[in-house]
Amino acid sequence: MTTLLFIVLAALAVGSAVSLVVQRNPLYCAISLIFVFMSLAGLYLTLAAPFIAAIQIIVYAGAIMVLVVFVIMLLNVEEEERKPLRLRALVPLAIVGAGLLFAEAAFILYWVNESGADRARSVGAADTGLTKTIGAGLFTTYLLPFEITSLLILMAIVGAMTLARRASAIRPTDLVVPGSSVLARQTLTPEPDSDATPVYSRTTDEAEHALGLAGVPHRREED
Amino acid sequence: MEWLSNMLGPDAARGVGQFVGINIAFVVTLMIVAYTVLAERRILGFIQGRLGPNRVGPGGMLQPFADLLKFIFKEEIVPDKATRFVYFLAPIIAITAALMSIIVYPFGPDVNIPFIGTVRLVVTQFDVALLYVLAVTSVGVYGIALAGWSSNNKYSLMGALRSSAQLISYELSLGLGIVGVVMLSGSLDLYQITEQQGGYWFGFIPKWNIFPQFIGFVVYLISAIAETNRVPFDLPEAETELVAGFHTEYSALKFALFFMAEYVNMFTVSVLATTLFLGGWNGPGVGTFPLLGVVYFLLKVFFFLFLYIWLRGTLPRFRFDQLMNFGWKFLLPLALVNVVVTAAVVFYTM
Repeated sequence: MTTLLFIVLAALAVGSAVSLVVQRNPLYCAISLIFVFMSLAGLYLTLAAPFIAAIQIIVYAGAIMVLVVFVIMLLNVEEEERKPLRLRALVPLAIVGAGLLFAEAAFILYWVNESGADRARSVGAADTGLTKTIGAGLFTTYLLPFEITSLLILMAIVGAMTLARRASAIRPTDLVVPGSSVLARQTLTPEPDSDATPVYSRTTDEAEHALGLAGVPHRREED
Repeated sequence: MEWLSNMLGPDAARGVGQFVGINIAFVVTLMIVAYTVLAERRILGFIQGRLGPNRVGPGGMLQPFADLLKFIFKEEIVPDKATRFVYFLAPIIAITAALMSIIVYPFGPDVNIPFIGTVRLVVTQFDVALLYVLAVTSVGVYGIALAGWSSNNKYSLMGALRSSAQLISYELSLGLGIVGVVMLSGSLDLYQITEQQGGYWFGFIPKWNIFPQFIGFVVYLISAIAETNRVPFDLPEAETELVAGFHTEYSALKFALFFMAEYVNMFTVSVLATTLFLGGWNGPGVGTFPLLGVVYFLLKVFFFLFLYIWLRGTLPRFRFDQLMNFGWKFLLPLALVNVVVTAAVVFYTM
């Protein structure tokens, strides 16, 4: 049963990964990547690591990829065209590299597999994927890397804020709302305040005079 | 269960039990959803001084089935230049993501069923049930986003963009609102969280998490209503501006799938609120009559579903900047403060 699940999920993961590279529509690439993450989460589940699986879906499929899809939809990215291959010299190198990779994988599968699996079993794989084990590990043994990572993320957030601020373009009266760049775009391009003096007029010509637009050519209804 | 596991072996017996459980949960959830829709129409009718659907069956009780038949026999219309594959995929994602979470709802304690033996009234119980629910429901946003994008319609796209922005913003407060409960009970397993809320403080106050975690409850409820795109946070489908938002171009059964997904999500939110904050199936007399727990559970869930309908009949819609300001500048800091205070209290008392 587990083997069957592994085969199905692994095939799905590899297939989606290939489709991710091959597709030309960026949104299809994003959807393929979501499927890769999902099948990876399924693989984690078969490895008895439910916490990692849930986090995989929440963080990658649920948060990061939503932002990617969001950006693709906002920018309305077109399908990319196939370009003629540059750097033809790299093709044989790529084939050699792929062969090496497969040889490595085969080596690991045939000669290293047995001892590695035994070692993993002896460590006590039954509770390594549970929430308690991971939490305890994160906050005792690996506390320093954990804290350093969080600092790194904080720095990235502050950096993104600084880059996105563009202090000169935003007037103090403007309201910039996170997550709604569509609506805030008008406020990002400053335009001079128009003259709000009321003008009294009865006809269009009078109005043009009052506004100083007399003589400016403009389109008439009958054109 | 004894004879089944003797006949098939323990693993297969558990598999059969879970298969039956999934099917029962599926049917019950869909029936509750169908009658929530009917209840919504009748209660909205009552609030607005009219009758609502009352012609099909006694008191309109068969209306959901009539609606379903109508949805099935309507013509499927696919807009010109729609991205067909994604257009068909979107409602499937929406309903699948919504329905996947029903297997972890703990809707009752251990009960003795004649001829079968002791059955725990939860389909499956595992270590990270709460995270699982959050994970699969967070995938539902793709249904909405892809539906809006693939329809090749400006209103749909605007609805989908608004919806994605709203879901991303309020998911944070939703998660942080729950963290307090998780810290108090020290578990992510919904069944254990429910079990720990049995008993009383001082002999009369039930040990429900809503009392120590009232702020968390309020934060959770508000962000959950926003997550399900319901009034007063229904900007993604604001009729006055966007026709119907992301599902403008969907008709027949595909529209019905989105509709069902929305109501299943409401049900999920109600179940989570019941389980996390209102003690799940706990109540007086459950110890002697375990089946009473199911009644308490459903009553609490129905209270939240009624709250949804009540809000819809009462409140106007937010403006978009109000929505974002409220989510990021009020709800999120409030949830963070709640998490810090709870952590301090838990650390110094336990």
